[in-house]
Amino acid sequence: MALVKGKLPECDGAPRDLSTLLGALASPESAVRRNAVRDLKLYPDSAEALCAQLQDETSPSVRAALFSTLIHLQSPHVAVRLAEFLRSDDVQLRNGAIEALQEMPDAIAPHLQVLLGDADSDVRIFAVNILASLRHDQVPEWLAEVIRTDAHVNVCAAAIDGLAEVGGPEVVKDLEALRLRFAGDAFMDFAITTAIRRIGSE
Amino acid sequence: MTEESDAKTRILVIDDGITMRLYYRSVLEAAGFEVEEAANGVEGHEKALSQHFDMMIVDINMPKMDGYSLLRAIRKNPAIHGVPAVTISTEARPDDAIKAFEAGANFYLTKPVAPEDLTEVARLMTGGSPR
Repeated sequence: MALVKGKLPECDGAPRDLSTLLGALASPESAVRRNAVRDLKLYPDSAEALCAQLQDETSPSVRAALFSTLIHLQSPHVAVRLAEFLRSDDVQLRNGAIEALQEMPDAIAPHLQVLLGDADSDVRIFAVNILASLRHDQVPEWLAEVIRTDAHVNVCAAAIDGLAEVGGPEVVKDLEALRLRFAGDAFMDFAITTAIRRIGSE
Repeated sequence: MTEESDAKTRILVIDDGITMRLYYRSVLEAAGFEVEEAANGVEGHEKALSQHFDMMIVDINMPKMDGYSLLRAIRKNPAIHGVPAVTISTEARPDDAIKAFEAGANFYLTKPVAPEDLTEVARLMTGGSPR
């Protein structure tokens, strides 16, 4: 039965309430879990349980449904919970979290500064990837701030990639300063030259 | 010169970062290799299935299909399971290399890679100098 926006989800004609759907998340059948996750789009209060489910869920299709529902229910709290998965050893979970966070710019924006200051350079790289995808006038300046302040070569490289996409002539001086900071690094020299060329041609 | 000797050693570069792909292309083409690019694991898998390659360079963190999943898919396919693969990742946790080898990588490098290291590994994996 097709769901109508605003109505409670139904099963065999009977509406499924929040506790029924949350209970279905523990089902051994992935189809039951997946349907419950989809129906929970109507319940913002389910966000925490859905985030917790992500940690243990092994079915790719249920995981995809979890990310889809969490994008629908997006909030600063959901964004912070998803950001915790940026340090997961599970690469699929981590990449899913990155892609989901890129879909909720307003929710993740206030938390990005924290992520950009994380002690783990990989988390900072993922934060830069998310930042570069946001549609906001300040993104070039925020990326420029990363290359002015971050000491890690791969974090700066990720920011250069973003600046090549969204930066303007105003960031060229920061890129040239970065070239001096990483003098002798062939990749950084190439990346900076390429970024400046791409900025100049657009 | 025969047609066979004209064929260059072909390397498939799979990385979601455009700068990284351009860098690998620049270094490898300067060393005489022919380079094809893919921007994510799904595109890389499709190209690996449809064209001949002598080696693949695989990033780990990519959208749509990550590097580990891509390597596992390639190693399961009898038509392409023997193509040498080098993973290049920003990650430098102790077990990352182990995970890459378990997924099917033949060599593991961390970014940024110096041109001479990339060229040396490409030559090693493809059995010598580019054709």
